[in-house]
Amino acid sequence: MKLTRREFAAGLAVGITAPYVIGSAARAQGATIKIGMCVPVTGPAAEQGLWAQNGAKLALAAVNKAGGVLGKQVELVIEDDQTTNPGIVLAFSKLAAQSDIVGFLGSIRSTQVHAMAPDVLKLGKPVMIGGTDPNLTHMGNQWLFRFRPNDSYSGRVIADYGVKTLGKKKWAIVHSTDAFGTAGGKALASALETLGSPAVLDQGYANQSQDFTPVVLAVKQSGADVLGTYFTFENDLGIFARQLRQLGVTIPWVGSPSVVAVSSTKLAGPALFGTFGVADYAEDSSDASKAFGKAYRDAYKTAPDNQSAWPYDAITVLSAAINKAGSTEPAKIREAILALKKFPGAEGEYNFDQNGDGLHGYNVVKNEKGTIVYDKHIDFND
Amino acid sequence: MSAPSDNMPATVAVSREKPMLLRHLPYFIGAAILVALAATVQVDGYVHNILMQATTFAIAVFGLSVVLGLCGQINLAQAAFFGIGAYVVGIGTSDYHISYWLCLAGGCIVALLAGAVLGASTLRLGGHYLAMVTISFQQIVTLVMINAIWLTHGPDGVSNIGRPDLFLSAQAYLAFCVAMLALVGYAVWHLADTRLGRAMRAVRDNELAAGVVGVDVFRTKIYAFALSAVLGGLAGGLFAGGFAYVSPDQFSFAESVVYLTMSLLGGVSSPIGSAIGTGLLILIPEWLRFLKSVPGLYLAIYGLSVILIIRYMPDGIWGFVSAAIDRLRGKAKAPPAASALKLMPATVGGDIVLEVTGLSKYFGGLKAVDGVDIQVRRGGVHALIGPNGSGKTTTLNVLSGLYKATSGKILLDGTDITELPPHLRTAAGLGRTFQNIRLFRSMTALENVEIGAERPGNTLISGGDAALTERAMEALTFVGLGSRANELISSFSYGHQRLIEIARALAANPTLLLLDEPAAGLNSTEKQELHELLKRIAAQGLTILIIDHDMTLVSEAAQHITVLNFGRRIADGESMAVLRHPDVVSAYLGTE
Amino acid sequence: MVLFGLSLPERPKLSCRDFPASDRRRGPSHRTRVMDLFLQLLFTGVGIGAVYALVALGFVLIFRATNVVNFAQGEFSMVAAYLMVVFAVDLQWPYWLSFLCALGGMALLGVIFNLGVYYPLRHRSFLPVIIATIGASILMANSVLAIYGPQPQVLEGWFETPGIQLGPVYLDSQYLLIIAVTMVLVVFNYWFFEKTMLGKKLQATSQDKEMASLLGISVSSMIMITFIYSAVLGGLAGILVAPVLFVSIQMGSTIALKAFAATIIGGFGDVAGAIVGGLALGIIETFGAAYISVPYKDGFAFLVLILFLVFRPQGLFGERVAEKA
Repeated sequence: MKLTRREFAAGLAVGITAPYVIGSAARAQGATIKIGMCVPVTGPAAEQGLWAQNGAKLALAAVNKAGGVLGKQVELVIEDDQTTNPGIVLAFSKLAAQSDIVGFLGSIRSTQVHAMAPDVLKLGKPVMIGGTDPNLTHMGNQWLFRFRPNDSYSGRVIADYGVKTLGKKKWAIVHSTDAFGTAGGKALASALETLGSPAVLDQGYANQSQDFTPVVLAVKQSGADVLGTYFTFENDLGIFARQLRQLGVTIPWVGSPSVVAVSSTKLAGPALFGTFGVADYAEDSSDASKAFGKAYRDAYKTAPDNQSAWPYDAITVLSAAINKAGSTEPAKIREAILALKKFPGAEGEYNFDQNGDGLHGYNVVKNEKGTIVYDKHIDFND
Repeated sequence: MSAPSDNMPATVAVSREKPMLLRHLPYFIGAAILVALAATVQVDGYVHNILMQATTFAIAVFGLSVVLGLCGQINLAQAAFFGIGAYVVGIGTSDYHISYWLCLAGGCIVALLAGAVLGASTLRLGGHYLAMVTISFQQIVTLVMINAIWLTHGPDGVSNIGRPDLFLSAQAYLAFCVAMLALVGYAVWHLADTRLGRAMRAVRDNELAAGVVGVDVFRTKIYAFALSAVLGGLAGGLFAGGFAYVSPDQFSFAESVVYLTMSLLGGVSSPIGSAIGTGLLILIPEWLRFLKSVPGLYLAIYGLSVILIIRYMPDGIWGFVSAAIDRLRGKAKAPPAASALKLMPATVGGDIVLEVTGLSKYFGGLKAVDGVDIQVRRGGVHALIGPNGSGKTTTLNVLSGLYKATSGKILLDGTDITELPPHLRTAAGLGRTFQNIRLFRSMTALENVEIGAERPGNTLISGGDAALTERAMEALTFVGLGSRANELISSFSYGHQRLIEIARALAANPTLLLLDEPAAGLNSTEKQELHELLKRIAAQGLTILIIDHDMTLVSEAAQHITVLNFGRRIADGESMAVLRHPDVVSAYLGTE
Repeated sequence: MVLFGLSLPERPKLSCRDFPASDRRRGPSHRTRVMDLFLQLLFTGVGIGAVYALVALGFVLIFRATNVVNFAQGEFSMVAAYLMVVFAVDLQWPYWLSFLCALGGMALLGVIFNLGVYYPLRHRSFLPVIIATIGASILMANSVLAIYGPQPQVLEGWFETPGIQLGPVYLDSQYLLIIAVTMVLVVFNYWFFEKTMLGKKLQATSQDKEMASLLGISVSSMIMITFIYSAVLGGLAGILVAPVLFVSIQMGSTIALKAFAATIIGGFGDVAGAIVGGLALGIIETFGAAYISVPYKDGFAFLVLILFLVFRPQGLFGERVAEKA
């Protein structure tokens, strides 16, 4: 595995430098349009950061091939946010200082988006984000545009699928106590209330637990006939899944995206067979997602996931919006983005609402003996 | 010693006479220039954020330089205090719309209390145990920050944190922070020279000796922790106002380690070192952003550097630099001349200065001291002798409070000191020296003796630093080392170190002086000098209780001898008679 | 339930109606069901406690020999687990061979650690050494990260069958192995330290270095052996626990912190104390999570630790050593 990673890294290095080489050539001719990207190059999320860069660069290449933006080639300026809050504040402020950057890609981690939000408001330029905390688009910041469905939708989709499609009414909710897990758990709980099936168990756990026996036993004791989860880390998910099966719990399970992520499937193996997950990116969900999947595989020799899909869409949408607006003025770009209807993206069909949320539903996928299979898409109109 | 107030620990350095302020004018001018620069020079958002981070972190690291550098207590919870200050300001301004100043003060108070509680845990713990308590405290605070969502908003963090109206713009706020940094830096810088600072350094260098010399060790440690916590809380409050958003992951154990590393890198004992370390560790990662292309590589190098710094530059960069400067500057300056030492031991009680009845100390089944009675008459020299293992040093340790007596009573000048901790016995008039010399190694001879002179209840110093120095000089001159007062302990020979220890005890003007094997390790000339010194001390009316093996010294110097064997008193009386006593002879030489 | 103003997740009130119909048909009584819960938790508590005990053993040994707390002990476990992944999964060597090579690698790491971190600082006070070991733990964790990447890895357990169902209780086979190995090690340690010459020499060195060297014992060799043994022990713990907890960069540090707490609870200088402390901690944690609050699970460990430190710092078995005045 070491060797394969090295080759992979070498290939990526070429992939990374190529646009710069091309970019600098373009610069020699005339100005380029610059898009800034705050991404974890170091820190715990470094690997995901790499995939995000891959997605963004893939989109960049496609946009440039199709003629660029406003007649010029697009260039990506990357800053490391170190996967920390102060890190992203510093990274963003470094990018913000470059006045020729017209738009930015922010973080997939909501707490990082919160941290940089004041600076985004001050700067007044559009920032594309992947974080799913619903508050991010409801705090009066008009410059944040979200490229993944927020957690209020994931909760509703899980609830909808479990209650209406699977027909299960007695829910046990297991969620991490971090930002993501707590918000997700809350969203799921309230969605279930609305559907008339309030949860019989709402169990939080702290990340990096080594043992989930108490949680599994609580699920067992609660008499639930379906399990809804929000897990942040794959280790925790793997240990929980195994212990769940060991202690004889076989009820259907509909979880947040981590449940069907590549690393979870690898770690938990058979323990996750048959589980359902909501996934913002599912390769077979639409033509656009299939096309993206193929292009990504051709370029990087591996399957994509949501880490690379949303930056791909962000670059694509931002470029399209600037072209539509005919200018790089922030207000005009914002108008153009909000005007987009039924814009096909790898993550789904974008219809931006006034808050800046582009997606309003999730795909439901199933782990069929190790392969992730697309089931259906559930969308909401609000 | 007054407790430090809310957000201005500068009060510990309060009694400054005019000339001192003028002397330090350059510092204030420099600080004013920095503040002006911060307020006026336009920098882009990136540099501004870095400066904000550096400024606030530096204040937190100053806190570490107090508790760790000055007092020698390990504190791995500084990030928790930082977080407490940040959250109080965050929640107060964002949720309850309370004024920023009140919140900042509140944050400092909460942090202060938390720090005092943590300091209280040092009562019975030190070293690794203390490290574990601080780590546990840190972890619990982080857990509460994450899980007590009703209070802290949990992992979402707190946004829209307010700022004082006076400093709303980024520029003004930065200038405000720099001003705070300068003020706090000044206070911490001069803390070392205050009474509390000296007490802290004594505790760091030699805790046992510090207690015996009159320092309330436990209280000093609590102050150290409280000060460190206040600075952490203040820094956190400033940080919250600066960045307008805080979340639990910024205040974890990993951050505490970062502060510790910043402190070590620059030099743990001085605020200058803290500032250097903070600056470097915030700027270097920015300069080395390119190194971060391989995940983990930067942090691996970071970990390696910690090891290397500890190994090769234990005093940090500033320690290294200042040591070099000191070497270049050459010998220490000559101290002022002093008048003759006055020893005025109390004459409150009657004839008997020290009355020990039925003293016992058992270690489990071992009876180290078993029902010993001693009466030490005022004035003159009383010796306590006995073969090895007879319990002499144990008796001395019980007398000075380092061990708790199993039973028995000790009366010093009529005051019952049996239950008192060491520093209170010193306050009552007891002084002692140690068999294995316990001087404060990082300080000069003068500073060592000054700490001795500072003992509570010393009526011979009128107050103020000048009187303290004068008294210390008198004591040093008395033992013949006045001319070398400003040299570090390490430059003195063993025999001279012993004399300094005696001077330290004398400077406190004790009623009874306990000498634990003062002649050990001295050559015959030095022993002669010691004998002369003892005579001079006794001539001023101070009572001496001496333990020693050197029979010549004992027989010549002491008028009265008590003999112990196997923890029991086997003889007591006038010197010559006791030394000829058959029990004593057989105890030392064995029976046929 | 509201505790200290904190809203804790509701524990469902147990009644026969709450249990799945299928179980109800089998007809266990309410009391038996509560007992089943208790037994399952007990097994898990003992299992995870045994892991803490193993790592704690490593701590105690180094502490007794050198009076140093090794904050990098957890990283020994982590490195060994990664070595197993490299040998057994990447290079596809047979399990037993990979195991031996991994332990050999740990012995080597113990040597390097001693020479690089402890030995140069052996005459300094404990504080620089603590900090140096913290630096070493950061170095080790991030070196592995740099070489291997951040994704957690899977390591298969020793046994084919994942576990046995003993009545109402499920016994995870890897946990059974861990418990068994811990018991064997307890016996082994006792025999080694009390009955062999080398063990006695190690004890002598840990109690009084000067005296030991005067008696002709090479203190530096003894210390080297102690570090090697401790590293191998830590590595063994890591390899044993990897199949249950997965191999990740962080796996060492959480366990180490708890193991350290265990040594304090048990009494710092004492081998038996480490074992008892580890088991006690595992049980307290698991039951605390089940009956009081899951998210605060880690908090219980630290709370117990603080209580011990405040009221009984010498732990259950330890002796307080006074400083010679």
